[in-house]
Amino acid sequence: METVGFLLDGIFTSLQWFNLALLIFGCLIGLFVGAMPGLGSVNGVAILIPITFIIPPTAAIIFLAAVYYGAMYGGAISSVMLGIPGASTAVATVFDGRPLAVKGEAMTALTAAAVGSFVGGTVSVILFTLFAPPLAEVALRFNAPETFALMVMAFATFVGLGGDDVPKTIFSILIGLALSTIGLDLITGKPRLIFFNIPGFLHGINFLVLAIGIYGIGEMLWTLEETKGKVQMSKLSVNMKEVGRAFGALKKTIMAMNIGSFLGFFVGILPAAGATPASLMSYGITKQLSKNSKEFGEGVPAGVVAPECANNSASTGSMLPMLTLGIPGSPTTAILLGGMILWGLTPGPLLFTQEPEFVWGLIGSLYIANFFTLVLNIALIPAFLMVLRIPFAILAPVIFVLCVTGGYAPTQSLHDVWLMLLFGFAGYILRKLDYPVAPAVLSIVLGPLAEKALRQSLILSDGSMGIFFDVSEKPIAAVIMYIAIVLLIMPAFGPLYRRLFKKKQTA
Amino acid sequence: MSIIKKLALVVVSLSLVAVSSVSSAKPFSPKKPVELIIPAGQGGGADEIARLVQGVIEKNDYASKPVIPINKSGGSGGEAMTYVKKKAGDEHTLIITLNNVLTTPVNQPELGIDFFNDFTPLARLITDTFLVWIATEGKNTAGVETFDDFINLAKGNGLVMGGTGSMSEDELLLGMMRGQFGFDAKYVPYSGGGAVAKGLVGGESDFTLNNPSEQMGFYQSGDSKALVMMTPERNPAFPEVPSSYELGYPDLEYYMMRAFMAPAGIDAEVEKYYTGLLHTVYHDDEFQTFNIDDGKLMSWLEGFGLKDFLAIEYEKHGEIIKNFN
Repeated sequence: METVGFLLDGIFTSLQWFNLALLIFGCLIGLFVGAMPGLGSVNGVAILIPITFIIPPTAAIIFLAAVYYGAMYGGAISSVMLGIPGASTAVATVFDGRPLAVKGEAMTALTAAAVGSFVGGTVSVILFTLFAPPLAEVALRFNAPETFALMVMAFATFVGLGGDDVPKTIFSILIGLALSTIGLDLITGKPRLIFFNIPGFLHGINFLVLAIGIYGIGEMLWTLEETKGKVQMSKLSVNMKEVGRAFGALKKTIMAMNIGSFLGFFVGILPAAGATPASLMSYGITKQLSKNSKEFGEGVPAGVVAPECANNSASTGSMLPMLTLGIPGSPTTAILLGGMILWGLTPGPLLFTQEPEFVWGLIGSLYIANFFTLVLNIALIPAFLMVLRIPFAILAPVIFVLCVTGGYAPTQSLHDVWLMLLFGFAGYILRKLDYPVAPAVLSIVLGPLAEKALRQSLILSDGSMGIFFDVSEKPIAAVIMYIAIVLLIMPAFGPLYRRLFKKKQTA
Repeated sequence: MSIIKKLALVVVSLSLVAVSSVSSAKPFSPKKPVELIIPAGQGGGADEIARLVQGVIEKNDYASKPVIPINKSGGSGGEAMTYVKKKAGDEHTLIITLNNVLTTPVNQPELGIDFFNDFTPLARLITDTFLVWIATEGKNTAGVETFDDFINLAKGNGLVMGGTGSMSEDELLLGMMRGQFGFDAKYVPYSGGGAVAKGLVGGESDFTLNNPSEQMGFYQSGDSKALVMMTPERNPAFPEVPSSYELGYPDLEYYMMRAFMAPAGIDAEVEKYYTGLLHTVYHDDEFQTFNIDDGKLMSWLEGFGLKDFLAIEYEKHGEIIKNFN
């Protein structure tokens, strides 16, 4: 019951007028940086950190957490309305959000994104409140072999999709993996694959450059070819019937909400993973487990709910290792962590007892921030929908400009803008040849995490792959690995099982 | 979208106006925002200092234009150094150093970086030191109370050391210790000092050579303990940890420098301005308190003293790398 008292204190702290004003202000800024391609929660929080020196730490963290949170909601807006991921965490939202908007169901997509975000955020903050200390222990035991097993599971969910062409999916994954190896080698510290000695390759291929290229530029080329510029997106009426329909569509997304909330939270508390892998994995697993997995990618609300739920859930989850272990669970929490140190706090196991006002103020503010961003988002949907009224001849150049600035912003290098254009063109060709591009995007995000975990594990085991399969030594890693293998081969045996099952029924 | 965008644009532009004040009438002052290049990722030690310097400057209006930290972490700092080299003569670029500015030009000769001619050293503000850490309940290091216990244990057993990446300071240090004490360890690289600390407490590694601030949380909670600090004297932030000199190992001395440099080919006036600005930051109360509490050593150095120091450190690192290979 002690927890309840602390939590109530925390909620009251965040409802003080000064903190509440900062919270709403932070949510709005977050929505903006999330929606702007290239500006994500990482940049938003990094830019705003110096401003927080003039306010108390609790107010500062409430403000920055609201920015982080708002960005998770905001990313979905440009993913759905423009087909460009507003932030890396919203890439998976494009997969189904964009097709929904093209079909004229943007209202459904935006509602699904807002409600999904709210559910994910709320479930994770409840989990956070109730189980923070034991979960910190789990994060502590989750080391290199466990991380690699989890990555294998993520890849398995993408390969194992019955509907897609498996060889083409594997090809797409391998392209993404190859691109992810460009840059600095973690183990030897030497540059790898620096083509023509161009220094721009030293920082590797930024994942947003690939995603914006493929989805922004590639999609635009595709649309131009398909429609010869005469794009019509109708059905713009916002009336109660539409609203009712949008909420009605959410009934079928309960499973996506569960997967997104719990998986997202779990991936979030693991160090160095964060909301981007969480949203991609949640999408993959929801698709895999869904009865109508073949419809994913063509515009189903569950395909929007799964990643949106997961990215909010993961962003809350990633605050857990930040507060309790002093290690960031995501790039944004890495910045927040730096901020906490500058505010004179020592993140780590003692923070909960030494600074209860700070910790519980933050947790309390997450409940409030969730509520406010949901209300803001639903209320602003008609405004977002106005984007669809813009003629394509005007919208296309705007999208192009947003893509270029989005490619430039993360690294501030023109090199990346050229790369993005190249990827856009390559993505268009891949699409013409009917290759799935989502697996390439997934593997450029997960590739470096998987490689690092694999090589760390193999150093520990002196090169033996047994480290991933030893149930007595590394039970968590082994169990995840076996599940991954089952997921990988399941589609191959699926038809067989179905045949056996049907025979039994008829017999 | 559009309403949000407009609102946020107003917000952003207001805050930009707030941070940039009217320029003063000094001989040189920045005419546009100053880029502060960080040759490491976000959330690390250099990043932390860079953002602290930015915050102190902005909060007190020490400069006429804002300082904007930019992380260029690629290629062990190679990306950042290549960038600054190309900016020769630019009056609005600074770089904060880790020791990778001393090692990367040697390790990656293909980058063509000449440490002594491509940069203008301004000042050293801080030196950070290193400690040998073990987990309080480490299963392979049970019973280890002193640094000598540790050496004896490490000699016989292949211990696992968690570190911050290949050819980083801590791996070079391991190389130094291998030469001095005759033990070797399996080196597992992590991404950043925080992850290294977690790997230690989580039982994946047996010891680490972390900076004070990287292990502070687990030190305060009692989950990890330090055996030796690689300095001549004890540090007030870790009163019970002996120095390497006390233990009779004066060769075990190593520092990470937090210095600032500008590109080559800037005017003496510009050099003077930035050195003065850094000096103001250095003497700021908040800056001092923060770093001392964090276990860092305040060690201002400029001019010829700094140049000599860099020359000695550069040579020392060349030697360590040679022995390492």
